[in-house]
Amino acid sequence: MIDHLPVLLVVLPILGGAVPLVVSLLHERAGWAVATLTVAGQVALAGLLAWTVETSGTVSYEVGGFAAPYGIELVVDGLSAAVALLVAVVALGVLAYARHAGPRSNSFYSLYLLLVAGLTGMSVTGDVFNLYVFLEITGLAAYGLVASGDEAKSAVAALKYLIIGTVGASLYLLGVGYLLAATGTLNMADLAGKLGSMAAYDSTLVLTAFGLMVGGLTVKVALFPLHTWQPDAYANAPDTVSAFISALVSTVSAYALARLLFSVFTVEFLSAVPIARWALLGLACVSVVTGSALAVSQSSVQRMLAYSSVSQFGLVVAGFTVGTPMAVVGASVHLLGHAVMKGGLFAATGVIERKTGATTLNGYAGMGSRVPVTAGAFSVLALAMVGVPPAIGFVGKWFIVFGAVKAEIWPVVVVLLASTLLTLAYFARLVERLYFAEATIHADEQADATADVPADATVADGSGRAVSTGMVAVVVAAAVLAVALTAAVPAFEQVLNETLPQLLTQ
Amino acid sequence: MSEFLTLVPPVAVLLPVAVLVALLPRRSGHALGALVPALAVAWVWFVPTGAHLQTTFLGFDAVLFNVDDFSRLMGLIFGLIAAVAVLYSYASEADTTQTGFALSYVATSFGAVFAGDWLSLLFFWELMAVTSTLLVWHYGGKAVRAGFRYALLHGLGGTLLMAAILQTYVAKGTFLFASVPNGPETAGIAAGLPAALAAVGIGVNVGFIGLHAWLPDTYPRPHVAASVFLCVFTTKTGVYGMYRAFPDGHVAVAYMGGGMAVFGAMFALFQNDMRRLLSYHIQSQVGYMVAGVGIGGALAQAGAFAHVFNHILYKGLLFMTAGVVIYRTGTESLKKLGGLWREMPLTAGAFSVAALSIAGFPGFNGFVSKGIVISASHYSFSKGPLPVGEFYTLEWLLLLGGVGTFMSFIKFGYYAFFHGEYEGSVPDANRLQSVAMLTVAALCVAYGIFDSALFAILPFDVTNEAVVDHVYKTYTVPHIVEGVALAALGLVGFAATKKPLSKLGRVPDVDRLYNPVVFYGTRALVVGVTELYAAVDRAVVRATAVVVRTATEPDELLAQLRDTSAGDDGLAHPLRAGIGFSVLILAVFVTVALLLLS
Repeated sequence: MIDHLPVLLVVLPILGGAVPLVVSLLHERAGWAVATLTVAGQVALAGLLAWTVETSGTVSYEVGGFAAPYGIELVVDGLSAAVALLVAVVALGVLAYARHAGPRSNSFYSLYLLLVAGLTGMSVTGDVFNLYVFLEITGLAAYGLVASGDEAKSAVAALKYLIIGTVGASLYLLGVGYLLAATGTLNMADLAGKLGSMAAYDSTLVLTAFGLMVGGLTVKVALFPLHTWQPDAYANAPDTVSAFISALVSTVSAYALARLLFSVFTVEFLSAVPIARWALLGLACVSVVTGSALAVSQSSVQRMLAYSSVSQFGLVVAGFTVGTPMAVVGASVHLLGHAVMKGGLFAATGVIERKTGATTLNGYAGMGSRVPVTAGAFSVLALAMVGVPPAIGFVGKWFIVFGAVKAEIWPVVVVLLASTLLTLAYFARLVERLYFAEATIHADEQADATADVPADATVADGSGRAVSTGMVAVVVAAAVLAVALTAAVPAFEQVLNETLPQLLTQ
Repeated sequence: MSEFLTLVPPVAVLLPVAVLVALLPRRSGHALGALVPALAVAWVWFVPTGAHLQTTFLGFDAVLFNVDDFSRLMGLIFGLIAAVAVLYSYASEADTTQTGFALSYVATSFGAVFAGDWLSLLFFWELMAVTSTLLVWHYGGKAVRAGFRYALLHGLGGTLLMAAILQTYVAKGTFLFASVPNGPETAGIAAGLPAALAAVGIGVNVGFIGLHAWLPDTYPRPHVAASVFLCVFTTKTGVYGMYRAFPDGHVAVAYMGGGMAVFGAMFALFQNDMRRLLSYHIQSQVGYMVAGVGIGGALAQAGAFAHVFNHILYKGLLFMTAGVVIYRTGTESLKKLGGLWREMPLTAGAFSVAALSIAGFPGFNGFVSKGIVISASHYSFSKGPLPVGEFYTLEWLLLLGGVGTFMSFIKFGYYAFFHGEYEGSVPDANRLQSVAMLTVAALCVAYGIFDSALFAILPFDVTNEAVVDHVYKTYTVPHIVEGVALAALGLVGFAATKKPLSKLGRVPDVDRLYNPVVFYGTRALVVGVTELYAAVDRAVVRATAVVVRTATEPDELLAQLRDTSAGDDGLAHPLRAGIGFSVLILAVFVTVALLLLS
C-alpha cells in the first residue's frame, strides 16, 4: 500500500466525495461526518507520505503502470509533500469550523472533498497536462463553494471567479499545447531535459508557452493586476469557504507556479532569458506594493485580508523567482505559513462577525474586550503576518530577504523591507481598533435588536448567531501554529535541501 | 570557575537588574544599581579571553560573549563609571525610573562591546540608541524634541552601518569578527563602498564634523545625572566600533580625528552653557581617539584605547562637577556664575583635577594617553600635506586641539569658580556627590602618576620595543616641556581672547567689529547646520503625518484624491473591477507579457 500512497492521496477524497451524494438518499446531514472521516484518513496518508519523503527522499509513481514520459507520473518531493500535508491539515481544521458554521448540505461536502482532491492532485502531479486537469477540478469545486452562500452577492462573485478563472486556466492549457508542440512531451522531468536541447530557451515557441502558462497561473495566484476576482470571492463566500480557499487555493497555485519554474523551465531558463526573470520579479514587486496599498484603503476587514493576500503572494513569487536556495526555502516557508495565518484570520473574522456583527474596520473598535480569545488570536496572527519574531511570518520573510541580499538584487530587497512596513500599516490599524478604540457597536443595542426577532431567526447584520467551541479552537490553533511552526523550519529546510538540489543548481 | 564566568553574557544580567532598579524603592534600587556594575568590573577582570557562547541566530553564526583585550578594557571602564554614576544619581535626586533607563543603556553598551560578530554588535548598537533616547526623553520638556532629533540621527547612522555590514556579509560570507573561531580571514569592514558607509554610520556616533550636531544639542538638556551616563557610552562604543571596522586604520579617519580635535575645542571656546561646552569637548577628545584608530598600528591603537579609558574618567568627573554647580545654583550659564570656589571648594578642586587631566597637564592621566596618540602621529604616521617644521600635519592638529582645550577650560574655571564674587551663598556638593567625585578625581591623578598601571590594561605594551614603532615614556623632559608649553600657550591665548570672547554672543552688534570673520563664519555655519537640521526635521514630521493619515484615515484621503462626495456605498468598495474589465486586464496582461518576452 505504501507504494501506492501518492495516488491514494488523490483517489481517497474523490471516492469520499461521491459518498455524501449517495447517502443523501438516506440521511440529510451525513455529509459532515463522511467528510471528516475522509479528511482524517487524508491527513494520515499525507503524514505517512511526508514521513516517507523525509526518510527515503523523492517518491515517484507511474499511474496505471504506464512508463513515465507517456503515462502520467506523480512526483512527491519535500515541497509537494509539505503542500499535500498542509492541504489535508487545513481541510480538517476548516471542517472543525464548518461543523457549526455550516453550510450543512450534503452536496456542499461533496464539493469540499472534490476541492481537496483537486488541490492534492495539483501538488503531487509530475505532468503539466495532469496539472491542468487538477487545476480545473480545483477551480470548478471552488466556484461551486463560493456560490454556496445564501446571498446574491455570492453568486455574482462566483460567476466572476468562474469566468476569469476559466480564461486563466485556458491560457495555461494553450501554453501546455505550445510546449507539447515544441518538445513532444508533457512529463515535467522529461520537459526539463528537452527544453534547451530540443527547443532553444529563447525560441518564440518556448517563450510564448512560458508567457501563457505563467500568465494563466498568475490569475489563480491572484497577483496584481489579475487579482480582481479574489477580494469578491473571499469576502462574499460563506466564512467556512473563505477560510478554506483563502488558505489553500492561491497557495497551491503558487506552488504550481514554483513547480513550473523549477521542474519544467528550470533555473537555467531564468538565467538564459533574464527578461523572464525580471518581468516576474517586477510583477511580484508591483503586487507587493499595490496589494498593500489596496489593503490599507479597505474598510471591510475581509476585503482587507483578501488584498493582503495579493501582497503576500507577491512576496512568495519574488522569493521563488530570486531562485537562490535560501530564497526558495524562504518562499516555501512563507507559502505554508501564509496559508495557516490567512486561514486563521478569515476564520477569526467569521467568529467576530457572528458574535458581534462587526465586519468593518470601524466596527472592530473596542471588540478586544467583547471577544477576548478570538481577538487575541487575531492579533497574534496579524503580528505574525507582519513578521514579528519568532512567528513563522518572520522566518519566511527573513530567508527571502537574505536570499535576495545574497543574489544582490537590491531593488527587491528594498521592496521586501518596505512590504513589512506596509503590512504593519494595515494590521496595526486593526489591532489598534480592537484594543484601543471606543466601541461603535454595543452589546446592549445588539441585544435589543436580537430581542425583536424570533429566537432562531438570523439577525440581519449577522450578529447574535452562536459560536461553537470548535470554531474558536480553530482560530486559536492557527495562532499557536503560526508561532510553533517556526520550530519545524530547520527540519523543513533540510528536507528541501535534500530533495530540491537538482532543481536549484545555482 | 572560569566556565561559570562565561555562562551568560553581561547584558543578560544587567538588563534584568535595570528593570529591577526601576521597580525597587529608591535607596535599595540605587544600592543594587551601583553594586552590580561594580561586580561586573570584577567579572570582566577575571573572565578568560576567548569567544564564548557561540550560537546560531536564524542560521547565522553569532558570538554573544567575546572577550579580548579591547573589549575587556571597555568593560572595565564602563562598569567602573556606571557604578560611580549610579551613586551620583542617587545623590542628585534622580528617580529610579531614570536610573533604570540609564542602567539599561549601560547594559546594551556591555552587549555591544562584548559582541563577537557584526550582527550582535549592530543589534545592541541600535538598542543603545533606543535606551539612550528613553533616558533623554524621561526628563521631559525641551529634552523631548532634542531626544527626537537624537533618535533620528542615530537611526540614520545605524541604517548606514547596517548597509555596510550586509555588504561585508556578501563579500565574506559571515558576520563573525576575524578573531573568533571560524571567522573570516581579514578583519574589519570590506573595503570600498561598505567602508565608506561604515565610516559615516559610525561617524554619527563618534561625532564626525558635520555629523556632531546632536552632541551639544542633546547632552545639555536632560537631568544632570543622565548627562554623566550619556557622556560616556555612545561615543566611546563608537570608537570601539570604529576600531572593529578599521583594524588597520585609515588615513581619512585619522585626519577626521585631527579635525575633530581642533573643531570641537574651538567651538567649545565659544560656549557659555557649561554642559554645552563640555559636549563640544567630547567631540574634541573623541577626535584624539579617532585619530589613534585611524593611524593604526600597536602604538596608536593602544593610545586610542588608553584615551578612551582616561577620557571616561575625567569627562565623567567634569559632568559631575558641572552637575553639582547646576544642582546647587540652578544656573547653566557661565555668564551668571563666578567666585564659586569660596562657596564650593571641594567641587572647584575636583573640577581643577578634571580640567588639568583633559587638557593634558603633566601629572594627570590625560597627559599620559594624549601623549601616546601624539607620539603615534609622529612615529607611526606619514608627514601629511602640511608639515610645520618638525611637526607632522596630524601632530600639530592634535597639539592645536590641546591648546584650545586649555583655553576653554581656563575659561570654564575662570568664569565659574574664580572670576568675581558669587552673590548669595550656596552649599558645596553633598556627601555622596563628594564621594563619587573624589573617587574619580583620585583615579585621574593615580593613572597620571602611576602610568604603568594604565599600560598594564592596554591591548598592546607601549613600553616594549618589539611591539610598538617607538617606545613610549611618559615623563621625559621634552614631553613635560611640551605639556607645560601647551598650558602656557593656552593661558596666553585665553588672556588675549578673553575680551572678544566675553563679548561674543552677549552684544552681537559689537561683535561684528571685533571679529567679523569668525562671527560670520560661525553664524553661517551654525545657521546653515541648524536650518538644514530643522528642514530635515520638518520634512520628516510632515512625511510622518502624511503616512499616519494615510494609514488611519484612508477613506478621507481617497475621497480627497477622487474629489467626489461619494456616499458610504461608493467608498466601501473602491477600485472594484467588473467581470468584463477583469478579462480585458487579463488579455492585455498576457499580450504585454508575450510582446515583452518575444
